[in-house]
Amino acid sequence: MLTAVKNQFKISFLTIKYALMREMLNKVTFITNIIFMILNNASFIVQWIVLYSLKDNVGGYTFKQVLLLWGMAAGTYGVSRFFFKKAFSLSEIINNGKLDSYLVQPKNVLLSAITTDVEPSALGDLLYAYIMLFLFGCTFEKFLLFTMFIITGGLMLTAIAVILGSLSFWFNKTDIIADVGNSLTTNFATYPDGIFKGIVKGLLYTLIPVGIINYIPIQVLTEFNLGLTLIVIGFTIFLVTLAFVIFFKGLKKYSSSNLMIARI
Amino acid sequence: MAIIEVNNLSKTFKVKLKEKGLKGSLKSIFKPKYKVIKAVKNINFEVEKGEMIAFIGPNGAGKSTTIKMLTGILYPDKGDIKVLDIDPKKERKKLAYNIGTVFGQKEQLWTHLTPYDNFKFFGAIYDIPEVRVEKKINELKELFELDEFINTPVRNLSLGQRIRCEIVASLIHEPKVLFLDEPTIGLDPVVKENIRTLIKRMNKEYKTTIFLTSHDVGDIEKLCKRVIIINNGQVVLDDSMENLKYHYLNKKIVEAKMKEKVNLDDEEGITILKDKGYNLKIEVDTKKRSVADALKLLNPDNIVDINISNMPLEDIISTIYKNEADK
Repeated sequence: MLTAVKNQFKISFLTIKYALMREMLNKVTFITNIIFMILNNASFIVQWIVLYSLKDNVGGYTFKQVLLLWGMAAGTYGVSRFFFKKAFSLSEIINNGKLDSYLVQPKNVLLSAITTDVEPSALGDLLYAYIMLFLFGCTFEKFLLFTMFIITGGLMLTAIAVILGSLSFWFNKTDIIADVGNSLTTNFATYPDGIFKGIVKGLLYTLIPVGIINYIPIQVLTEFNLGLTLIVIGFTIFLVTLAFVIFFKGLKKYSSSNLMIARI
Repeated sequence: MAIIEVNNLSKTFKVKLKEKGLKGSLKSIFKPKYKVIKAVKNINFEVEKGEMIAFIGPNGAGKSTTIKMLTGILYPDKGDIKVLDIDPKKERKKLAYNIGTVFGQKEQLWTHLTPYDNFKFFGAIYDIPEVRVEKKINELKELFELDEFINTPVRNLSLGQRIRCEIVASLIHEPKVLFLDEPTIGLDPVVKENIRTLIKRMNKEYKTTIFLTSHDVGDIEKLCKRVIIINNGQVVLDDSMENLKYHYLNKKIVEAKMKEKVNLDDEEGITILKDKGYNLKIEVDTKKRSVADALKLLNPDNIVDINISNMPLEDIISTIYKNEADK
């Protein structure tokens, strides 16, 4: 069992390594993608600088906390898009019968399918995330906590993408639902949670768990709280397990296809 | 001992029906209609160890669906499958360690990596120790003559070289059964012949059971000793190649362009299919008359251009299916 898990991780990392090597073939595009993503993220901070020159506190967040929130959003996005890029186009993979080649391999189909490609610009998000952490104020403990939270957040974003993408096993054209769902988790992630009230706030801690992915980690990084940390870890385990269960339930309904396919 | 056992295997697909136009699209949103397509209906067969079997049929006959159920890609609705005594439905991973698959239309290799790196990757997928992978690569490199391009990125290889590499990648873990789904699709005749020789050699060297689907009569004729024909999801023929050849592949189609008009009538072993004066299409039953004999009737000096071909596979299948239906 332990060997099987070890071998699975070995293959996943090897797949990510090869996918990264493929992206690095075009050096200029690879590097510009990363730099432009950092600049793109940085441009959004300008509006917050303007806002905080007028007010000291927005939705209960200080300016430094907003920087950290942007770092957390970029970091979770970066982890999910870099390591598990294909989870965000799972509908297309299922609809076009692209799971065939993974199904004939003795490895986990879901992990094999979603780690087969990387998004180079997501490396820009990850770098940006740590720049924001240093601007917030970084200690060794905060560095470790931050790293753990962008991993848990990245896993949760991936799990949501897998759940939404797996709907394609049962229904047609669910890629639109998946795209909207994935956009919601990103769009809400860069605003202080104090500005949301009532039902919206409720949704942000349940159906669209931006609260657990981003807001709780910001609270913990500002003032450590073991209970809240465990809630984040617990929810990550729950969401990832749910994603696996739904995917493998749906896999029984997989209908493949006879399209000409190349692994590019 | 049977290495593949298939009993009462069935698979259906639900397809949404839509009436034409925008009105039809709107109607299908509120009142969707579905059609159930029975892709595979209650099929039964067995394959023995070391056999090279052709699993053929026209497009949409259920070949790919069956092969996908045998390899664990699709879940059957009904029936039992045992490949090497493993149920693909229940033990997909265990089965994957023991079988190899090559889908001519689907590429499994990383195109930016060299075949060598790809083979190492496949070795890791099957948890094979480095030393053993290295040894296997060297062995297969010799057998499949990959020396020239083993260190060239896959995207720079010709289709024939790529297919050879695809086959090698599927053999790294020494599978006991190899499923080949149209392995020679899109290849030129020389490369096709080359691939066939290599498949034959592999079957001889490693005693690998080969389960082949192909639309190419040449593949079937030159590789397989047994043929299973499937049409409309049902097995319509399961016989030896020898019998199939005796009954159906003895008919050759001769198309000739003549210098002068020829007056030829149906006679023993010769059927006129088309006669447009200078262009002639005849069917020669080689059991009754040799092709050389038939050509003599046309007068070789009078022939401008000629094409001799087998009876198309689709025609053979239709004939067999029709015969089965008439029974």
